[in-house]
Amino acid sequence: MDQIILFAVLLGAPAAGAAVSLLPRDGIELVASVAAAATTVAVSTLVLLLGTSGVFGYFYADGLTRIMVVTISAVFLTSVGYSAFYIKRIKEPFMRFRWYYSLVDLFTFTMLLAVTVNDFGFVWIAIEATTVTSALLVALERERTSIEAAWRYTLIVSAGLVASLLSVILLYYSQGSLAISQLLEKSPSSDLLMALAVGFALVGYGTKAGIAPMHAWLPDAHSEAPSPVSAMFSGILLPTSIYALVRTFELLRGSAVFSQMQALLIGFGVFTALLAAVIMSSQRNYKRMLAYSSMENMGVILVGFALGGIGAIGAVIQVMSHAFGKSSAFYEAGNILVAYDSKSMAEVQGVAKRLRLSGYLFTLSCLCVTGAPPFGVFVGEFMILAQAMSVGNTTLVILLAVAYMYAFIGLNRQSIRMIYGESSAAGQDGGRPAPQPENWASVAIPLANLTVSLVIGMYMLPAVLHAASGFGL
Amino acid sequence: MNATLLAELSGLFGILVILSALYMQGQSFVDPTIRAISFQSFAISALFVVLYFQSGDIDLVYLAVITSVVRGILIPRVMLFQVRNFKHSLRETGTGQRIPSLIIVGIIFVIGGYAIFRSVLLPASIDPLASVPFALLLLSFLLIFTRRNALMQMTGFLEEENAVLYAGALIAPSIPLLVEFAVVLDVLGVVLVGVILSASRDVFLTLEPPELKELSG
Repeated sequence: MDQIILFAVLLGAPAAGAAVSLLPRDGIELVASVAAAATTVAVSTLVLLLGTSGVFGYFYADGLTRIMVVTISAVFLTSVGYSAFYIKRIKEPFMRFRWYYSLVDLFTFTMLLAVTVNDFGFVWIAIEATTVTSALLVALERERTSIEAAWRYTLIVSAGLVASLLSVILLYYSQGSLAISQLLEKSPSSDLLMALAVGFALVGYGTKAGIAPMHAWLPDAHSEAPSPVSAMFSGILLPTSIYALVRTFELLRGSAVFSQMQALLIGFGVFTALLAAVIMSSQRNYKRMLAYSSMENMGVILVGFALGGIGAIGAVIQVMSHAFGKSSAFYEAGNILVAYDSKSMAEVQGVAKRLRLSGYLFTLSCLCVTGAPPFGVFVGEFMILAQAMSVGNTTLVILLAVAYMYAFIGLNRQSIRMIYGESSAAGQDGGRPAPQPENWASVAIPLANLTVSLVIGMYMLPAVLHAASGFGL
Repeated sequence: MNATLLAELSGLFGILVILSALYMQGQSFVDPTIRAISFQSFAISALFVVLYFQSGDIDLVYLAVITSVVRGILIPRVMLFQVRNFKHSLRETGTGQRIPSLIIVGIIFVIGGYAIFRSVLLPASIDPLASVPFALLLLSFLLIFTRRNALMQMTGFLEEENAVLYAGALIAPSIPLLVEFAVVLDVLGVVLVGVILSASRDVFLTLEPPELKELSG
């Protein structure tokens, strides 16, 4: 009974925050959203520490759920905090800021619902609702590109998610139930229908998770949304969709079609990682480049979950550390955008001379999300690679290693050029741009996120060493 | 009611749904396309009533009422309102010459969809009419991917949802609660689309926004 209250508070806090944000009192929206986010962080940490698992009324929790709620809550809190600094610069916002905060709260509510509810139907409803609550956030800056990106996001994602509704219908038709806890315990009764359900889930939830070739909305929405929203999209929305896909795929364990569908998911994951790694290196817009990096990470995470074993553990670690690392990168990108008023890498050079701390943190964030040791993403990617080696899939090992290297070189080469390159703009001291004072919150928030990613990596490093010793390394 | 009559009615509504989808493929005017999706939603609602008489599940009647009100009346009205705001967008530009090919491709999709469904996906396990939503799904993708006008794309999306509603009611009639939620979410979705299209009107002055080079690559 007590544990149901935890879930009720976890979901109730952002819902209440959304309602209170709309009250006509100046400044209440920020206070309400920060209070809601702090509450969700406190409760989700409690869920994690208590090791809550099992069925609690309409809710279901296991290890994956606990990690997801903590990650979603933490990125929610930092994004709300960063919004206080960032959105003030928007001259003609698409909506009043109280609506912005209210939608951010509702967006978080829908993601938390998706990862806690014990019913595949409601998981689908919650993920569909994330589109409704977040589409207007993409258009906040009211520019031609942001409105077009919001439209593309709404249409492509909604059209894709209809396929996952079909997946849910097939699941119900073949198994006679949609309760996650029940379905996880029993063997699937109809292999062909279940394979079709997973196939449609891959198309539907894969569209929302940015899995290629259904990813067309992702670079547009991530690059055009305000930075705190980009951070939420990349750090927690994409993994929430992966969660729904993985839950559906898990049901196949023990069935005759498991290995075929596993190969299908691995194929799509590797293709996504390779495609994104290649496209990333030719980007001219730094937020778009970060978007492709998210896509690459989602591809790798999908491979990890499909492989299972320590690959799945690696995927969970990568979900968490990527969320913190990438949100940090998007916040820094926001600082750069505020200072330079441009997303073009050609126009943004020598950042470290003008925004010293933001420049350094952006470089570190890029290193973090491309798997530089000892950040958590490195640990996750290594464990996924180790699982591919342990099952003897040499082709997969080679393809993953190529994707890792290509992404690492592509993103860091571009970011280092941008941060440490020669500035074309002359500063006040004749030729060199003068360093600008930086808002403490705009630096402290990404620094905190980056630190969490580092701590995850350091904490899990023994696991990497253990896995490495298994291969004589 | 007589079982043969119900089966014939079910077939009749299935054919009307497919004909309305082919009619939409052949349109370059936005206005009649929206009216066709409204008609298609009513046809699917009628099919739900027929299925109620076959199965006795009262939820199908609720679903029929919600579908006809939301997808037959409310959403088309909001879309027609948008058409009035964009008088110069009444006809999609550049589609005229492609219409005959689109109709032929649409017919191939219907026949191919039936063949694939019956031979590969669910061979002889359920009602042959279950292939209608599958064909409708293919036709909706064709509509979404071949059109540039935002309202035409929206019509394609509604058709895709109609296909899934149809499939849900046919193969898993005891799952209408989920499908009802899907329809209710559409109300929120259409408000959202209305807001984005209004902003699009202010910024682009058209419903066929140009290719933006900032959003390429």
